[in-house]
Amino acid sequence: MKKLLGVTLGILTAIGGFVDIGDLVTNALVGARFGMHLAWIVLVGVIGICLYAEMSGRVVAMSGRPVFDLIRERLGPRTGLLALVASFLVTLLTLIAEIGGVALAFELASGVSYLLWMPLAALAVWLVIWRVKFSRLEQAFGLLGLLLIVFAVALFKLGPDWGQLLHQATQLHPIGHEGWATYAYYGIALFGAAMTPYEVFFFSSGGVEEKWTRRDLGTERTNVFIGFPLGGLLSLSIMGCAAVLFLPAGIQVGTLGQVALPVVVAFGKIGLAVVLIGMFAATFGAALETALSCGYTIAQYRGWQWGKFVRPREASRFHVVIIVCLVLAVLTLLTAVDPVKVTEYSVVFAAMALPLTYLPILIVANDPDYVGRETNGPVRNAVGLFYLALLTIASVAAIPLMIITKAGA
Amino acid sequence: MSGRVLHAQLHLLDRQLIDRADGHLVGKVDDVELDLDADPPVVAALISGRVEIPAGRIAEVESAVTISTDGLDLDYYDNWIEHHIIDKIPGAGDATE
Repeated sequence: MKKLLGVTLGILTAIGGFVDIGDLVTNALVGARFGMHLAWIVLVGVIGICLYAEMSGRVVAMSGRPVFDLIRERLGPRTGLLALVASFLVTLLTLIAEIGGVALAFELASGVSYLLWMPLAALAVWLVIWRVKFSRLEQAFGLLGLLLIVFAVALFKLGPDWGQLLHQATQLHPIGHEGWATYAYYGIALFGAAMTPYEVFFFSSGGVEEKWTRRDLGTERTNVFIGFPLGGLLSLSIMGCAAVLFLPAGIQVGTLGQVALPVVVAFGKIGLAVVLIGMFAATFGAALETALSCGYTIAQYRGWQWGKFVRPREASRFHVVIIVCLVLAVLTLLTAVDPVKVTEYSVVFAAMALPLTYLPILIVANDPDYVGRETNGPVRNAVGLFYLALLTIASVAAIPLMIITKAGA
Repeated sequence: MSGRVLHAQLHLLDRQLIDRADGHLVGKVDDVELDLDADPPVVAALISGRVEIPAGRIAEVESAVTISTDGLDLDYYDNWIEHHIIDKIPGAGDATE
């Protein structure tokens, strides 16, 4: 049992990273428009995040230094500041979207407008961060988020033509009236969502919160290699459900209700209840993850005391950053901006911040000062460099593609 | 500390500072002051924000720099925020449950 609970950090990180409000919508949207023709991107993303999350986890277990410590140490104060501004803004945008997502899940369950739920959601996120122990938070929302496996079960229940889904997945090109530009744009969105920077911020800082040492290298790896592939599987299930139900009917997905629809079609009201609880847990978990990451990044760049392993008053600046971010999130959402649109943009902006986040991890994972004898081998370095090239291409192409495709319209 | 060769930029600059007494994080090494009169030049002090940390306070240099903070005012801003904001919220001094 203790072993099982030991992997909840990875599960929460992955569920928060892979099936937060943005991915729930993006995966369903992509499934409805492109079928499984973009599924390979999820696979590429899972391998990439496994590779780099493992490196960041290893550095934490061997040296106790989380990712943003490394970014400042290796990039210096100026480039480090650029990385901080970029990744902080992306994480804040995501936090705004997640708070909106929690409120939308409550709107679906209650019929009461999300605008009323939203301040409550933000308050609840703050209360959990202020009062609840890290390991408890991780277990509750990680395990509850697993309810989203209902998408995989629903896919089986819908009884699709598996051969056709597989055929789609091996055809790496756009279909119907969709062009290459929109195909590439959504490809980058999926890739950015899979490797979004706050996943490594949260995972590595979580390792410090959990007080990992070199003896926890095994736990760290189990977390990575169970958590992230599981997140990827959930992503593919959501995409598959949409590909089966919406693509043939030519329906476009733009709301959280539509994302849940395949499960309702498969299992009726029980399905709706399960999927709503799962969506709540995933978005709430991601809200916690992003709110904490806002505090982690700034505090680690500046060298402030941070973390839930000390009393709030001992990490006062860290907690003030989190409170300010939550207030900003509420104020932004009160302008009635569409939370779903906010995430769609945040994922693409995330793609731009990616190389600056991952380059220092790759460098330090080769530095014996940090990781002792646990440095990267030649294979991991080769794959790591390959991914760095991919991340750079994605970051350069993100904005031009956004303009050309009018944000995927 | 005598005798160990450190690359100031690689091993000191931008490293995390840790308080030896309680393990708390107390800032970053923003700059390094060298004593150029010595031969070879040696590190005279570390600068973090507005605070100067004499080299004698350095206890350990690893992936972070451990120092003894007695009498140094490294917590000024953290204490200010603690007293004016965080302490006003119930539960600020409690461990999480």
